[in-house]
Amino acid sequence: MSNDARRGYKIEVWVTAICFIVVAITGGFFSSFVVIFNEVFFNQVPTPEQLVAFYGETMFVFKEHLSVWGFPLHYFLLIVLSWIGATAIGAIWCIVMDRLEEQQRA
Amino acid sequence: MEPRGEVFVLGLVLSIVVLLLSVMISVWARRFTRTLGDYYVAGRSIGALNNGLAMVSLALSLTTFIGLTALIIEGLYIAVAVYASFTAAFIGLMVLAAPYLRRHKSFTTMAFISERYDSKTLRYISVVVMLIVSVLYLGGNLKGIGIVFYFLLGVPEIWGIIVGGLVVTLYVTLGGMYGVTYNQTMQSIVLIFCLMFPVAIVLRTIGAAGWAFPPLGYGDMVPLMTSAVPHYFWAMVAHPVVYIGVFLGSFFGIIGLPHFVMRFFTVRDAKEARWSTVICVFLVGLVNTTVYATGFAAVYYMQTAGADIPTAAYDYVVFILVEVLAGEGWLALAIAGSVAAGLSTVSGLLMIMGAGLIHDLYSEFNSKFEALPFGAVLGLVAGLSFNQALSTFFGIGGMPWPWIWGIIGLLLGAVLTQLFFKPDVDDESKLKLSYGAMLLVGILVIVFSFEPPEFILEAIMWSFGIAAAGLGVPIVLGIWWKRTNKYGVGAGMVIGTLISFISWLMIGYLGMDPVDIPFPFFAKYFYGPLGWIKVIAVAVPLSFILTIVVSWLTPPPSEDLQRQVDEMHGWTDVDPKRYNGKGLPITIIVLSIIIMWFITTLYDQFPK
Repeated sequence: MSNDARRGYKIEVWVTAICFIVVAITGGFFSSFVVIFNEVFFNQVPTPEQLVAFYGETMFVFKEHLSVWGFPLHYFLLIVLSWIGATAIGAIWCIVMDRLEEQQRA
Repeated sequence: MEPRGEVFVLGLVLSIVVLLLSVMISVWARRFTRTLGDYYVAGRSIGALNNGLAMVSLALSLTTFIGLTALIIEGLYIAVAVYASFTAAFIGLMVLAAPYLRRHKSFTTMAFISERYDSKTLRYISVVVMLIVSVLYLGGNLKGIGIVFYFLLGVPEIWGIIVGGLVVTLYVTLGGMYGVTYNQTMQSIVLIFCLMFPVAIVLRTIGAAGWAFPPLGYGDMVPLMTSAVPHYFWAMVAHPVVYIGVFLGSFFGIIGLPHFVMRFFTVRDAKEARWSTVICVFLVGLVNTTVYATGFAAVYYMQTAGADIPTAAYDYVVFILVEVLAGEGWLALAIAGSVAAGLSTVSGLLMIMGAGLIHDLYSEFNSKFEALPFGAVLGLVAGLSFNQALSTFFGIGGMPWPWIWGIIGLLLGAVLTQLFFKPDVDDESKLKLSYGAMLLVGILVIVFSFEPPEFILEAIMWSFGIAAAGLGVPIVLGIWWKRTNKYGVGAGMVIGTLISFISWLMIGYLGMDPVDIPFPFFAKYFYGPLGWIKVIAVAVPLSFILTIVVSWLTPPPSEDLQRQVDEMHGWTDVDPKRYNGKGLPITIIVLSIIIMWFITTLYDQFPK
């Protein structure tokens, strides 16, 4: 394998691995992280009297200072990262692979 | 939800327009079909935009209109996580599989697996897996068209299934992949507009400031929502491994679902395959985020207006909201959009089932004896379908009729195969056979859709899980690890499919509570909302582990087979070291073990 080919191979594998890891986090693992690290996104507060029967003595509400365009941060990140974020990652990967393909042809 | 007492004329007219347009497009597209390659993969001539749009409508099945909103109302966080995974999964499909599959020049997933691992047995197994996932995916969608006709147009459900089914069968049979592709493109455009515009009007009516852009247009209403429903955005509902199961099911399921993969065999080259996926993920995200807005509006409306929508009607809440808050004109549009969504998915599935039966099974038989089981099983299915039709239309059913018609069908299928089967048919004959097979599959599917699974979205999630464990794993490893061989793939495929399929039989079909299942011992951890999804977090990792370990313990594939991996990645030379390291398989095994172990953790922290 020539040096150029070796470099191309490494770029392909690493760029693909990084893109996959990032998109796996935005599309799947981030949902888990919100659950595991729920204190980051939610406050435990006393439940208003009329809702105690439904929620118990305490309930969880999202931290209002952690909001983007009015949406709770975790919700915003989930929908925007899995949509615009995934599209952007995909586009970057495509550009890199287009260039790599041109080099392979050359 | 009570069905309409009278026909909703405007909705019916728009739905018929969609149906007629579909047939017309297919008749027009028929002129392009000359060869078998034209029929199955549109002559590999589809561009990125066209393919991207076609993938959108394939991805956004009827669950976009029916099913997802119910999930949002009952548990927003899980619904958002499911669709976040589903949307991002397209990029997973792209970086791991799409362009490489295109370079392989197969017609179908089953052909890819067979050729990559040089095994006819794997081809047959993968056809069986394909049929399982396709039927699960398909039944609900065709039934959904019937439900739309019944509840919203006042037309009996059975006529919805028959008319929708016949139209889609007709245009798939006539137009082949060209017809399917151009139809899916049209249906995507219809679907996007017919969802976005009515939802925008709904948001405007409830007072959202950003109603003109539904995906992110309701942020100003969040404080009002949290005062009405404080837990709306609360995430601590299900064990975190549920989301990892969803991730595994979505990412590897979409790679394993043959009707998605087949789209990549239709494009001009690998570059078009890549960019079509980017177009697709952007539009799928646009529609999905609009559905979250619909769910938000539904919950807000129910809480603030005191509207009492029964739980059974949550599936149709898009239509209820649009009718109440936007008006009948917009409802007619939404109905037409949902019909388009159903048709597009059904057509893609019919195409792959027809291709699988003729291209991947029938053409592979070398003698009448080899073809005998194929004919017998097809006859059995036809006999059972005939029984179903008799039962539905004439009330002739119950025991022992299924047995009688099943046995007659089986014998007839076996005899007809012996009389008419010819080995080594040429492409022209295969093309004629494909027309016949497509028509037959369409009719069988229509009949089976009379009694499909109850909850469409759940059936589709199961099919993702089975596809991930059975087909997704061998495709990914076949592209990225040269050492993968037929023995490993056989072991991983069979065990992965069995685990997920048997779980579906017990939990999804028979309705058993997984927590009560004595075996396997870890079934008790499948608790909580959508707890069965954890099955996917067992089946997929196990499929990976078995494929890798068995491949390692058995002889490596031949050099010719390994060369395919280099070619799929665009290399003109061959290097045995490329895609052959130990890092990838070891990482996969370690991650797989961690995921399976994770299921047993945090037991006391989540509602059972």
